[in-house]
Amino acid sequence: MSPEWRDEAEKRLRTELSAERMNFVTSSMSNVYLNCPDGGSRYLVFRFENGELAELLLGQGEPPTAEFKITGQYETFARITRAELSSHRALMTGKLKLKGNMVKALKLAAIADRMNKVLSKIPASY
Amino acid sequence: MDKSDDPYFIDFPGRIRAIQLEMAKQGIDAYLGSRLRTLSWTLDAFAPWRSFVVIPAEGLPTAFTFVIDAARLADDSWLDEDHVMGFAPMGGQDQIELIADFIKELLPGGKGRLGIESGMSNYLPEGNLTHYEYERYARALPGCELVNAHTIIDRLATIKDAGTINRFREASRMVDIGHQAVLDALQDGGWKGKTETEIAGLAAYAMRKAGSEWEWSFTGGNEIASGYRTGLVGGACTPASRRELREGEPLMVDLHAMFKLGLGDHAHNYLIAPVTERQRWHADNFIDIVKRTLQTYRAGITPSGLAEQMIGFADERGFADYMVPGFEHGIGLMGDEWRIGLNDGPFPYWTNPDHVYCAGELIICAMQYACPDEGIGFRYENPIVLHEDHCEPLSAFPLRVDEIH
Repeated sequence: MSPEWRDEAEKRLRTELSAERMNFVTSSMSNVYLNCPDGGSRYLVFRFENGELAELLLGQGEPPTAEFKITGQYETFARITRAELSSHRALMTGKLKLKGNMVKALKLAAIADRMNKVLSKIPASY
Repeated sequence: MDKSDDPYFIDFPGRIRAIQLEMAKQGIDAYLGSRLRTLSWTLDAFAPWRSFVVIPAEGLPTAFTFVIDAARLADDSWLDEDHVMGFAPMGGQDQIELIADFIKELLPGGKGRLGIESGMSNYLPEGNLTHYEYERYARALPGCELVNAHTIIDRLATIKDAGTINRFREASRMVDIGHQAVLDALQDGGWKGKTETEIAGLAAYAMRKAGSEWEWSFTGGNEIASGYRTGLVGGACTPASRRELREGEPLMVDLHAMFKLGLGDHAHNYLIAPVTERQRWHADNFIDIVKRTLQTYRAGITPSGLAEQMIGFADERGFADYMVPGFEHGIGLMGDEWRIGLNDGPFPYWTNPDHVYCAGELIICAMQYACPDEGIGFRYENPIVLHEDHCEPLSAFPLRVDEIH
């Protein structure tokens, strides 16, 4: 969750996911990481417009409003990134909490998986 | 399509405003509807899964249903997809947390009076809040006082608007098509070898061809009874069985069709030849009391008053022993069955025998004639609109007990 990681994430999302691969989606999602290694919380907000990454924000405290908000422990997100836990299982066991219209979220589930796949390849230590 | 060119138009936004006006009068800040009748009446869509509607003090309602059906419900409803949410067993998305969070955001500081729907019913899919749901919502909404408020909807839904009546009229037309298909199939020996389930199916096919959405009744769809099953004591519920029709026996065909949540419900009766004089006597008694009942129904009468008159008539004619002493059940858009008026009689949540009918009420004129000792019985059901000086039966299939040869 460093600024360097954010910059690399932005670069990879822009180069590896075309607007077509992102189904020309216009939406936003904030991931809220609780209990980060420093004890605090972080957020990561993705905003897409017509399939293009328009904004990727990393910050602390309350995240800006987004269409979807996913909240969970830092360790849960880390396990998902290390492919030790699927995001579906994390949601279905309540380890992650989704806020937002579930019907729309279903439409975007495949896109979110594509994003996660790209992000999981960023070298990082947890 | 607006009111001027759609005979089935219902002013759903107007209904919501009427509910909100009543909520304000009763100091209710938000309304959590869970009954099937409330969902149909406010959403204009069939909600077969556990569903809820949250009505704020102002603005549009939001529906919540099982996520697998939310997109379809939004497509059928007058509400847009931002006002139909799906719930699922996922973090933050189960029905309690999702809806409680939604209500908290509606109410300043998460505090206020929340109208809920509690009670009991002999109608299985009524949908009152369960004890478990009540406890969970109460815990999830610590700033809210949960108050039973279903009479708001029930009062507003009692008198039917033109669009609702026209939907029932169209569903009744479809039922009549089903009856004609059954009659055509039974005539000239066609009845031989047919079973009750087969009759239910061929009627369903004819009605669906005419546009019916389903045979909506939870009593097994189309109810068919033959032989002794027509005469079961109090037997006003006969899901079709695999019983084969037999000569010399009665047959009762009770069909259900649905059109835009409006419900058709009409029963027609047969005697399969050879017909005895005694069977014909029973049949004539039945036809006469149905005619008299239809002539009597109007605004200003009560269920008990009508029952007394009709049982008196049956007594004079010597067939009172065979009459079930009830002549109606309530009806409304899908899910609103059985209730008459506000169900505010001496037995809570049952028909008030002293309910005074008003013009614009819609009920099912329903009666059951049963002589179990002789294995014969008949049923009549038909949606009727009550007017000041008469009633209007919506199914137009000829009233008679047909003899089939």
